[in-house]
Amino acid sequence: MIPPLNEKKKRVSKKNKSSWRKHIDTKDVDDFLEEQRLEQRLGEPFAILKDEQLFTVDTAPNEKQLSAKEKKRLRLLAPPKCFSMLESHSKVPDPITKRNRVRTKEERKCPILKRKEIERKRNGILKYREKQRIDDKKKHDEKLKEAENDEFSKDIWEIEDKLGGDEWIDKVTKRHTLRGTGKLNKIIPRMQTGKNKHVSNIETPHPGISYNPSFKDHNDLLVDIAEKEAKIIKEEKHLNRVTKDVFKRVAAEENSASWLKEMSQGLPNDEDHNEEIEEDLSGKPYKSVNPPVENKKKTEKQRRKQKEQILLKESRLLAKQEKKKTVDLHKLKLIKAQIENREKKLQKQKQRKEKLKMFKSKEPKQLGRLKYEEPDMVFSMREDLTGNLRNLRTQGSLLTDRFRSLQKRNILAVTARQNHKKAKVKKFVKPGFNDNWKKSVANINISPTMK
Amino acid sequence: MVSNRKKKYSTGEGAQFISRKAALKKLQLSLNDFRRLCIIKGIYPREPRNRKRAQKGVPGIKMLYHIKDIQFLMHEPIIWKLREYKIFNRKVGRAKAVKDFKAMRRYLENHPTLKLDHIVKERYPSFIDALRDLDDCLTLCFLFSTFPSLPHIPRSQSDLCRRLTMEFLHAIIEAKALRKVFISIKGYYYQAEIKGQTITWIVPHHFSFEPQSKAEVDFKIMSTFVEFYTIMLGFVNFRLYHTLNLFYPPKFAIMDNPNEGEKALADENIFVAERVAALNIPLSKTVLGGEEETEIDNFDMGENAEATEEARKEIESIKVLKTLFNGMKFYLNREVPREPLVFIIRCFGGEVSWDKSLFIGATFAETDESITHQIVDRPSMEKKYISRYYIQPQWIFDCVNTRNLLPVSKYFMGEILPPHLSPFVDKERDESYVPPEERALYDQDAVEQMHKEESEDESDNVEDLNEETEVDVKMLEDNNKLKLGVKAGEIEKEAPWVKKREERQEYKLREKMIKKKHRNLYKSMMNAKRERGKEAWLLNKKRKLHDQKEKVKNKSKKKLTIKQIIIQLFFIYLFQSLVSIFFIRNNQI
Repeated sequence: MIPPLNEKKKRVSKKNKSSWRKHIDTKDVDDFLEEQRLEQRLGEPFAILKDEQLFTVDTAPNEKQLSAKEKKRLRLLAPPKCFSMLESHSKVPDPITKRNRVRTKEERKCPILKRKEIERKRNGILKYREKQRIDDKKKHDEKLKEAENDEFSKDIWEIEDKLGGDEWIDKVTKRHTLRGTGKLNKIIPRMQTGKNKHVSNIETPHPGISYNPSFKDHNDLLVDIAEKEAKIIKEEKHLNRVTKDVFKRVAAEENSASWLKEMSQGLPNDEDHNEEIEEDLSGKPYKSVNPPVENKKKTEKQRRKQKEQILLKESRLLAKQEKKKTVDLHKLKLIKAQIENREKKLQKQKQRKEKLKMFKSKEPKQLGRLKYEEPDMVFSMREDLTGNLRNLRTQGSLLTDRFRSLQKRNILAVTARQNHKKAKVKKFVKPGFNDNWKKSVANINISPTMK
Repeated sequence: MVSNRKKKYSTGEGAQFISRKAALKKLQLSLNDFRRLCIIKGIYPREPRNRKRAQKGVPGIKMLYHIKDIQFLMHEPIIWKLREYKIFNRKVGRAKAVKDFKAMRRYLENHPTLKLDHIVKERYPSFIDALRDLDDCLTLCFLFSTFPSLPHIPRSQSDLCRRLTMEFLHAIIEAKALRKVFISIKGYYYQAEIKGQTITWIVPHHFSFEPQSKAEVDFKIMSTFVEFYTIMLGFVNFRLYHTLNLFYPPKFAIMDNPNEGEKALADENIFVAERVAALNIPLSKTVLGGEEETEIDNFDMGENAEATEEARKEIESIKVLKTLFNGMKFYLNREVPREPLVFIIRCFGGEVSWDKSLFIGATFAETDESITHQIVDRPSMEKKYISRYYIQPQWIFDCVNTRNLLPVSKYFMGEILPPHLSPFVDKERDESYVPPEERALYDQDAVEQMHKEESEDESDNVEDLNEETEVDVKMLEDNNKLKLGVKAGEIEKEAPWVKKREERQEYKLREKMIKKKHRNLYKSMMNAKRERGKEAWLLNKKRKLHDQKEKVKNKSKKKLTIKQIIIQLFFIYLFQSLVSIFFIRNNQI
């Protein structure tokens, strides 16, 4: 507890050792001791030290100028800064001369064994684990190197030729002989691929796509293309006629008015009309839309008559059938002809079906949602034909051509590029982003007079 | 007990097909991996006979696979590799996210690699099968070799494509297997024949890269195709090189004696790659020796005499084709596309060179006097040599297609070229009418024939005289032979029409043996052929009549013109004399 400055000191007893200790001022002694300890820790103060002890004259240049990278490397080698707190910074020696410390594994080793181990290492005798490590590394390096050089370094069809081509060797024998080589003859299931065999890999080019075509060839090509285009235009026109032109264009107001009229058909909207109906209803008695059904019973006579009628009908039918049998005997020729006719018809139908099937098998199949469509033919207009190789103008792209060809051969399914619609994000400016801080925060009145 | 009721779609078409989604689930693969696997293994979606049943009653159109196909895929060991990839990606991604770059690098160094060798073998059990399916492979590889690195197409892939395609061209050059070439607006069409298989491929024109729109082509899928095709082409190259007694990877004679190369090679791979791309340096062989020429045996085949004759002709023309440019020296100007021309010229035995600064591998300079042809694609040149022809590149292509050397005159520098016709037209359709002028364009024999016909007309009178004298000589000989004597027995000759008739009958019988399946097709084919023949005959006849008329007209014209000239000359003379008389008179006055 510190007494206030201007208060007069009270007299205190210093009778006992403890009370004496309590009230004696030891500040100067403490300060001295503190200074002494600091000196012990940090060494002598700079004031006492001579210039020679503090500075050295740098007469020789540094042996090597280190680059920034090397300096960085060196810094990396130094112990990390985070551990500097753990080191002792004082120059005071450890008071406990014989401190108990856990020895490292290396220190704990038996010196005889240590010596022996060094000797073994020198003689090339390694421990199993070390050997394995070296071996593994070697194997790994080899593997990498092999993979680099292994590209196309063998004939994959050779083995087949050695044994597979020989018809005299039994299948079992073949498998048996190949078993040791590590190359088993794999039995591949004979599967039908869906590949379209009717379409060649590279279709023969139309002579009209030559860079310098003859007039006839080029004309043929253009005529082909024009015909195709005309077909497309015709189809488009037809679609327009059937869809767009059927409906006439109406103004929006008119449309809504007509809609309202249509929708309110049959609704009682006129008040006068309502009244009339009410009047009508009041005049006549109520009649249901579907009056209740009366259960009328038939008389005995009626039932008998009905039964008789049914029997008569049946007997007539029987008689007719009997008669037909006899008549059919005479009609045999006609029936035969009819049957033959029918069979012929069926045969024709069958043929037509087969033909259709054959044609269909040549066409690209529908593998997915979309159907294959023949791409536009490549051609160049007459003015694009320069007649020499230097000024040639290329048309079409080979990549698309290949891609479409794969689709045509049923190797790829026809797909359309998916366009994922991005969600609409509402944008707004955060308050304070565009703010003038001088106005809102510092509240400075910027006016021309202030300048 | 009553047996359990059969569940719907547990047998038949309903059980045969599996939707793509179900297949993914079964194989435990992602969609991308599944697509890749299917392309590599050559498994395609199917169209069922009855879609409703195959989709188990689910409406709409789904992508369906055959259940057996999926089961086949299930046995594929590379599925495990694909799964490894998945884990690998996850590990690398994690290491990257926590910035553990040491681990990341370790993972990347030990990345899993797909080995597709066994799949190539599996899909193409024999070398011939692989050759048969090489069209797509070559076209795509040639195309990809022109690509820069794009998203989904790594640089290494296009580099590999470039290397393999160039090596393949070398094999074609060594085998002299090229048969047809065609310059289209799309690219160069080539057709080669290897082991009896015709291989056609397209090479894009050598212009700058044109970016593709993503909407049209899925680059990822095409890249996967190319991934498989590069492996396939590599093995095909290996086999081809070994059958041609070449080293694979290719070696050059220069590399064998390092003393000749002045400096030590900085990078052997780049050195080789450049020479390979030059296409101009012959590869060194494992076994030295000439090629064996196979000759067709002369068997009398009787029935197939026509076919054998045709085959013999074909072989003969190919023999000519193989040595078409032998002994010729070509020099390419710098505006000419180097690669296709060097390839074609080297294929048929010619020597080529170009400007040294244009590309590596030039063997002689423009100043070399022994150059026979200089290929030029510009209207004129300042400095020209007398010792060589200056021709346009189309000459090379047309020569190959006609299989003999065409007259150079139509292809001179600055000349308007004759049309470049496609060699890929049906032979059957050749029966259509071709005007003699057009035929003369491509056939030397036809030119000769035309000339002959003209000369015949002129020498008609001479021949008439000759015939008369011949008749006299014959009469004399007959008189000498009338004397009695023993004659040597003569072999009774069969009338020629008997044999013909028999052949005809046999042909008709064979026609009858045509399967019902093909009969209609055959009929329509023959009808079309007949019709075409008829038309051609008609046009030919018309032409002949027309020509005759023209000839008569020309003759009369000639006579007329001579008369006219004489009359004109006479008038001019008259006029001149009159004028002179007039002048003389004036002077006198």
